[in-house]
Amino acid sequence: MIRLAIGTLRRHRGAYLGTFLAALLAVALLAGAGLLLFSVLTATPPADRFAAATAVVSGTRDVTLTTTREKHKKGKTKTKTERLSGAGTLPADLAPRLAALPGVARVVPDAAFPVELATTAGPVRGADVAPVIGHGWSSAALTPYRLRAGHEPAAGEAVVDSDLAARGGLTVGDEVRITTRTGVRTLRLAGVAAPTGRDALPAQGALFLADREVAAVSGLAGPTAVAVLAEPGADRAALLAAVRARVGGAPVLTGADRVRADLPGALPDYIGPISVFGFTIGITAFAAIFVLTGTVALGVRQRLRELALLRTIGATPRQLRRLLGAESLVLAAVAALPGLPLGVLVAHLVAARFRHLGVVPAQFTVRINPVVLLLAGFAGALVTLVAARFAGRRAVRVAPAQALVETVVAPRGGVAARAAVALIAAAGAVAVLAFVPLGGPFGMGMTFISSALLLCAVAAVGPLLVRLVSAVPGRLSAGTGAAGWLAAATTRVEVRRTAAVAVPLVLMFGINAPLLLNGELTARLAEDQQAARLAGADTLVTGAAGLPLDTAKRVATLPGVTGAAATVPTRVVLAQGGKPQDYAAQGLLRIGSDDVLDLAVEAGALSGDGTFAASADLAEAYGWRLGDEVPLWLADGEQVVLRLSALFTRYRGFGELALPATLVAAHDPRGLVSAVALRHSDGAVAERIGQHWPELRVVPTAAATRTDDGNQQGAWELLVVVSLGFTAIAVVNTFAISAAARRREFADLRLAGATARQVHRLVDREALITVLAGLALGVAVTSAVVVPFSLAQDGVFRLVVAPATYLVLLGGVAGLGLVAGALPVRLVLPRRGLPALGDR
Amino acid sequence: MRIHGAGGPVVELVDVVRRYAGGNGAPALAGVTVAFEAGTFSAVMGPSGSGKSTLLQCAAGLDRPDGGRVRLAGQELGTLREPKLTQARRRRVGFVFQSYNLMDSLSVWQNVLLPQRLAGTRPDRAWAREVLHRVGLAGRENDRPGQLSGGQRQRVALARALAGRPEVIFADEPTGALDLGAGREVLALLREAVDELRTAVVMVTHDPAAAAWADRVVFLADGRVVSELADPTVDTVAARMTAVTAA
Repeated sequence: MIRLAIGTLRRHRGAYLGTFLAALLAVALLAGAGLLLFSVLTATPPADRFAAATAVVSGTRDVTLTTTREKHKKGKTKTKTERLSGAGTLPADLAPRLAALPGVARVVPDAAFPVELATTAGPVRGADVAPVIGHGWSSAALTPYRLRAGHEPAAGEAVVDSDLAARGGLTVGDEVRITTRTGVRTLRLAGVAAPTGRDALPAQGALFLADREVAAVSGLAGPTAVAVLAEPGADRAALLAAVRARVGGAPVLTGADRVRADLPGALPDYIGPISVFGFTIGITAFAAIFVLTGTVALGVRQRLRELALLRTIGATPRQLRRLLGAESLVLAAVAALPGLPLGVLVAHLVAARFRHLGVVPAQFTVRINPVVLLLAGFAGALVTLVAARFAGRRAVRVAPAQALVETVVAPRGGVAARAAVALIAAAGAVAVLAFVPLGGPFGMGMTFISSALLLCAVAAVGPLLVRLVSAVPGRLSAGTGAAGWLAAATTRVEVRRTAAVAVPLVLMFGINAPLLLNGELTARLAEDQQAARLAGADTLVTGAAGLPLDTAKRVATLPGVTGAAATVPTRVVLAQGGKPQDYAAQGLLRIGSDDVLDLAVEAGALSGDGTFAASADLAEAYGWRLGDEVPLWLADGEQVVLRLSALFTRYRGFGELALPATLVAAHDPRGLVSAVALRHSDGAVAERIGQHWPELRVVPTAAATRTDDGNQQGAWELLVVVSLGFTAIAVVNTFAISAAARRREFADLRLAGATARQVHRLVDREALITVLAGLALGVAVTSAVVVPFSLAQDGVFRLVVAPATYLVLLGGVAGLGLVAGALPVRLVLPRRGLPALGDR
Repeated sequence: MRIHGAGGPVVELVDVVRRYAGGNGAPALAGVTVAFEAGTFSAVMGPSGSGKSTLLQCAAGLDRPDGGRVRLAGQELGTLREPKLTQARRRRVGFVFQSYNLMDSLSVWQNVLLPQRLAGTRPDRAWAREVLHRVGLAGRENDRPGQLSGGQRQRVALARALAGRPEVIFADEPTGALDLGAGREVLALLREAVDELRTAVVMVTHDPAAAAWADRVVFLADGRVVSELADPTVDTVAARMTAVTAA
């Protein structure tokens, strides 16, 4: 059977080219997305700052909740963890207690805290804008960092790594300015240090202070980790057991795990990208499977006659099924050969772009895993096989007698099954759109799922829908000359073929338009809300990297300022049903009589210490009422209980929660004010700020409405580019397959007296009708998704979210369809060529 | 109505040479001179590879000779280029092929009127109806080719050829895919077109029984006209065919 399959593949090289191309691209996309997801899931921190330590005792780095539920008389325990953005501290007396244990050579309390480093020339960061992390000098021994120049830092001095020194053009004796949550300090550079064999650790710059200055500069109550160095020849197991017994519940990390004791902000974040790559694989897998299924089905349908001929020479339906199966397996295997390397290339290209956008850490590398590649190839083969089986399930039962008849029509029927599939898919889409809160964090993902379901529904009953929506353009076309009349007739009669070509167009528009439009809508809403929040402010004061809360307070109390609001961005962990979940939040400090930050409070009032405000949506999701005492975890894992005092609605680009700024600054390791919004009575305030704090930027609020979601939007756009590219190729491919199979029909037309030009016009007109039908359905799918999404965001009914984007996409898809329809026939049928009689 | 003189040939080939790509082998047509008159039914016969289909295609303007001249209804085809060639063809020529060459997506009626629609002329519906009646397909106008038998389809093709009132009908193995009865019906209709409508018919066939319906049989071998036979019968054709093949 395999030999026969290879034989048929060889003989019909042209006919299989389209299916081969689709399989190749599908495998490449699956492999690419699979590798990216695999790489991010298995990514390890690039270097271990604790490499020289035997074991590291870590402060809190996550919120872990364990719930026990009674189920069938058996307790079922579930543990859910959410990572913190900051680091919890350990008791200050832990280090001396551990030092007393036998076998311990040395114990080093380690503090790690973000530092904004600047010279007179401007801010200095590490390679790939890596953050600068501050430590006490004793921590240098843990890596170890060794001095390359100068000496250990004394009070008022600092040592930086060689990389930072090079980037900042620093030499020993220079002055540097550091900003932490405790304030701004000017230090003298005492020395330059580096880990063995390199200038700096990847992903983090290091700045060392005198040990006794750490607490004052960092604002930390204790060490974030305590490292234990064993004596040479000590019994490690016994030592670890003793350490574990001494520290109580705190994690004691060894080997590759030690790195987890570092400051979360100092390690590349591979958790965020998981959802991005998860989404990527969702979209690509859907598009790849969708396109491949359609292409394979089209290919099988075009070979009905050949299948019927095989039936006449005695092939049983079972043999035909096996032939189709074997064929598709050979095809998928051959397609995987170039497809998998292409997938590796795709993964590298996407990763490079994502690194550039900052969606993934600069240290992210694509790891090539043979199992992932095999799985991608296997998935491609499976999809091809199933699609071929499905498309051929009726074809193989073609009556042998039909082979002798000129046209072989696939037995109709299966309408009920197709309608059922369409109904179920559409119902699923409606359910998702109706019952899942699209305004929440999963809104975009859910709208993608519903457009995917709707596209499945459209594909299932494609011929029926295409017949409906092409009726009007068909009728209009019929009145315009012989070619128009013929085009109307062929698109109507060959509605399955029309649908097969139209469905990729529907896919191309229906999957990309909602992604782009919804992305644009959320970005625009965030900008609008930002503008509305700041409508009452005159100017916005920002620093290159943020300003300490103290500085913000002094800015806010300058003469002439009538109102001020400072925001300290942070993350807060909330729990519901035993599942901790991380949210964006702001520490909010308001000073003065005028309200300059309008969060659109709809109930209660913003209040002081011991209280917090939440977005109305969040409060509803968690079932909070005003006055409730709510437990929440701050960035360093500290649990506090705050009273809900206000519900607000303008949370986009801000955060779901507003907490007292001093509380946030005390528990977020960075703890810096990102911006102070000011309202002032006299214009000299800006000048005064410039005099006092030359490093601060003062801008009119109107110019400062951009939010930080830029890289998220960039990631969306890249995803859309990938899926646009793939779906565009699918569109061209199906048009080409369809045209290639119509040589004979075109030749017949030429014999009936059509000039080549008339045939070209006919095909152009068919393409136009097909494109109109495809776009009509694409717009329908898009609207079905975009409208509920828009309603869920802010209750406004929007059909066309961004007219420019919409038109460009509409025009692009239409243009591509028309060109893809027009080109193949011109290649098959040259304008001056004679009617072909030869190849039949 | 016929523009060229009543007595002149409708199709005239003079010294027509046709080589095929590669060009090493013997030419498909090695200098063929032959004429077909209005109101005559001619059959072209010859062994496989003798060039009979090539002759038909060159005569009909579906293929370009490498040498010699072809005149179709008084028009020199060699000077015509596409799309003029197609326009000339659809005004003066009808085709009937072994494989029918109907449009599956059009009904019988639409197929019959298709050449006239493509020509942009006002379809002569009354004549089309008459022609469909003559081929015995009155009442099947709305059927699609897929719903018809092979013989019926070939009759639709014939009706389509006749509907344009061509001066010549080229038929390439028109009975090749048909059973005996259906083939006979098609041949009778071709004969009728010659006798009643004074259409010239040029038919390529390998079947002596089909050739016997013609007024004259031209025998080809190795790209040359090797023999002719007037008022053929099955027996004379078969005998001559055997002689030609043996030579």
